[in-house]
Amino acid sequence: MALSLARAAFNAIREKGVGGALRSAKEQGYLAALLDGNLANEKFRFDGQLIGTDDFGNEYYEKTTGVQHGRHRWVVYKDRTYNASSIPPEWHGWLHHITDRTAEQLEGLKPRRYGIEHTRNRTGEGEQYIYHAKGHALNPNKRDWKRYQEWIPAE
Amino acid sequence: MAPRCRRYPLPLPRSSTGSGSRRFSFSPVDSSSAAESGVAGSTSRALHSGVAWYAGIRGKFYEGKQSSDFYKWGSGLSLGGVRHARVASMAAVGAKFEAKPEDCIEVSVDGKDVTIAKGMTVLQACEVAGVDIPRFCYHPRLSIAGNCRMCLVEVEKTPKPVASCAMPALPGMKIKTTTPLVKKAREGVMEFLLINHPLDCPICDQGGECDLQDQSMVYGSDRGRFIEAKRSVVDKNLGPLVKTVMTRCIQCTRCVRFASEIAGVQDLGVLGRGGAEEIGTYVERLMVSELSGNVIDICPVGALTAKPSAFTARSWELKSTESIDVSDAIGANIRIDSRGPEVMRILPRLNEEVNEEWISDKARFAYDGLKRQRLNEPLIRSADGQLEPVSWARALKTVAEAALKVNPDQMAAIAGKLSDAEAMMALKDLMNRLGCERLWVEGNGEDTVADLRSNYLVNSTIAGLENTDACLLVGTELRIEAPLLNHRLRKAVRNLRAKVGVVGPETELHFKAEHLGNNAEVLASIAEGKHPFAQTLSKAKFPSIVVGSGVLQRSDKEAVLAAVQTISQNANVIRDDWNGYNFVLLNAAQAAGLDLGFVPGSRATVGDKSSIKFLYLLGADDLTPEDIPVDAFVVYQGHHGDRSAYRADVILPGVAYSEKEGTFENTEGRTQQTSPAVPTVGDARDDWKIIRALSELAGVKLPYDTLNGVRARMLAVAPNLFRVDELEPATPLPKESLPEVKAKLESSPFKRAIENFYMTDPISRASKTMAQSTAAFSRS
Repeated sequence: MALSLARAAFNAIREKGVGGALRSAKEQGYLAALLDGNLANEKFRFDGQLIGTDDFGNEYYEKTTGVQHGRHRWVVYKDRTYNASSIPPEWHGWLHHITDRTAEQLEGLKPRRYGIEHTRNRTGEGEQYIYHAKGHALNPNKRDWKRYQEWIPAE
Repeated sequence: MAPRCRRYPLPLPRSSTGSGSRRFSFSPVDSSSAAESGVAGSTSRALHSGVAWYAGIRGKFYEGKQSSDFYKWGSGLSLGGVRHARVASMAAVGAKFEAKPEDCIEVSVDGKDVTIAKGMTVLQACEVAGVDIPRFCYHPRLSIAGNCRMCLVEVEKTPKPVASCAMPALPGMKIKTTTPLVKKAREGVMEFLLINHPLDCPICDQGGECDLQDQSMVYGSDRGRFIEAKRSVVDKNLGPLVKTVMTRCIQCTRCVRFASEIAGVQDLGVLGRGGAEEIGTYVERLMVSELSGNVIDICPVGALTAKPSAFTARSWELKSTESIDVSDAIGANIRIDSRGPEVMRILPRLNEEVNEEWISDKARFAYDGLKRQRLNEPLIRSADGQLEPVSWARALKTVAEAALKVNPDQMAAIAGKLSDAEAMMALKDLMNRLGCERLWVEGNGEDTVADLRSNYLVNSTIAGLENTDACLLVGTELRIEAPLLNHRLRKAVRNLRAKVGVVGPETELHFKAEHLGNNAEVLASIAEGKHPFAQTLSKAKFPSIVVGSGVLQRSDKEAVLAAVQTISQNANVIRDDWNGYNFVLLNAAQAAGLDLGFVPGSRATVGDKSSIKFLYLLGADDLTPEDIPVDAFVVYQGHHGDRSAYRADVILPGVAYSEKEGTFENTEGRTQQTSPAVPTVGDARDDWKIIRALSELAGVKLPYDTLNGVRARMLAVAPNLFRVDELEPATPLPKESLPEVKAKLESSPFKRAIENFYMTDPISRASKTMAQSTAAFSRS
């Protein structure tokens, strides 16, 4: 792994120069991965085969030979703030070996009538993401006792 | 509090070893205390047995709640029962019990002897005795079907239990209602009814006010033995007002009988037999009737419920307020059910003399208009033509200044269709003090004379029209203008074979009526006695004439009214014992307006509107923009942003009938009052208070500061408006005192007074339900 990492860095510097290589490393999230061990563990693994990318930019890799069973599929998160809910349900199945089909192959399974876009869990990311009941003081749409609709003089 | 309702011993536990011990046994209450615990006293109960079943059953079941304001259905009816006991003997509700001694028979109910009229049924005899019989299909205003079998009682010397609603009581009959046989029979019938009734009470809109729910609690068994699959029935589409969940139907056929006997439409019927029996409309049809909402009330289960209020409220969370309907001039008695600041539904209240227990669909379903398009703050039109919110003080000051700038001859005030008498009194006083005499109420026409009270009232009274045996309708579509009066006339046609002739626009009246033509020539030929219907009228014992107030919009209205007067003279319509001359008003405000003299004074100019510089509209919306001069200063005081609000220079927000205590007079001259059910919206104020405040700023302070002060003033002007809930009949004047009419009849046909029944006033025009009804039921 260390060898492949060094080779990749060497190639990049030879192509773009030191400054260009650093810039492209930042754009591709390698510098961020240096500060996050979990991220680095997947990001600096160059021997996998890219299986697909979801709508959020997360990349899904697989290496079928020469790895311990159960560690042959992994995800490289796009975002620096990530958690398990960053993965949409269609990729969740693939990643956790529930199915061998990828999201593209499962495309038709999403319910058309009531299926909604996946959003990740935003817990702890700010006041606006906290659910307040309809009568809660912090709910911006708090219900009041007004039960009529006033006339608006339109021209 | 322990309910004092009658308890029957519950069945023995299945595991009982026959020791005779009953774990939950209650001894039945003796019949005398049951009679006392009924809501109406025993005397009025006897007189008013038609109501007794409702008042009695409801009263018993909800006795615990009745003392509070929580459950008003029972107490409301019982009030009606006491108050109208005098009339109940007159009206054909349930049993007529004003019989001579030789027409009476004696029967015994549970060992108690009661005297009843001949021809009464066993069930009615039990009511007279104060014994409640459970029932589903029997309804005192409908024909007897006898198909639910819930009213089974034991009669001595008969081998089987008898259906008491369909069995005539015979002299000396010994009726027993508390025997084990009766108890077992009721339990058995209830078990059969519940076989195919779904267990969806928690999601059923009838839950809490369901006859089946109530009666199964009292008369049913504590368990069922049915484990097979229940049947299900496809729901029917009856339009935007009545929701159907046909699986809940117990085939009592009350709705079918209501449709054919009361509403007069043959749209509903029973299809199939046995387990396949369903109520349906034969082919996919809507139920087109102005009274269709009443099937919701008479349905004993949740099969027919109100579509607009579906899933919005539970009966026990509602506050009931007894009030008066203002959607037409009949003044139907209603009960406004509200939750917090919201009107949740409107139901009829019993008043035999006015609406019996029915109301029109507009009265029942237009309430959602009370929540839309409301005026909630004073508005002034600014220099750039936009309406802007201002304070009350500034709004009133602007109006006062504008009024004082204008010559009194150039001022006019119009009271709208829904104006209460107090507001009209205050407005009349204000305008008169400012020197203006040009006043009129919408619908009355601009130059109406209010001198002869008998000329603008239903003199036969609404209930009295049932007794007519020949009726001439002039220029009116009675079914649309006054559905409840049309129902009374329909009763006369059904019961007395009354002959009805129509001069006016051709309309389906839902009973047999002869259309004589739609022009004044027909009227003239009847007046001259040439037309065959003139003979029909003169031969009749109780002839009547019903004139629609659409006639007032005609230019030859004096000639038309004179012709009608001649017909009534020729046919002897007005006698000492019978006055069949009826003038049907369209709007709730009209009669009170005429009584208060809200008509142009002798000095007022009439007709030409181009001279008006200051126009005060008290909720009046019928003027077209072309009628109002461009330079006129228009004040709109009302509760809805309706047509005229767009033209107004100042808008003063008033209150709707559900929010105020207002006096209204119906078309027969009966004074009634609304009561506030919900709070006013926003910054709106009572109408008379607005006018009173305005008078002070205009320098012509009105001499009353309280509602009673206004009413004292009304007492001075029209004393009958002070006597609430009383009918003030008008004295017909002899012909010699009538002015001679020189005007000639014109040949133009009579026009329709109401184009669309569902949208006539600001509230119903703001209502979504009424818009849906218009789309579904419109006659075009």
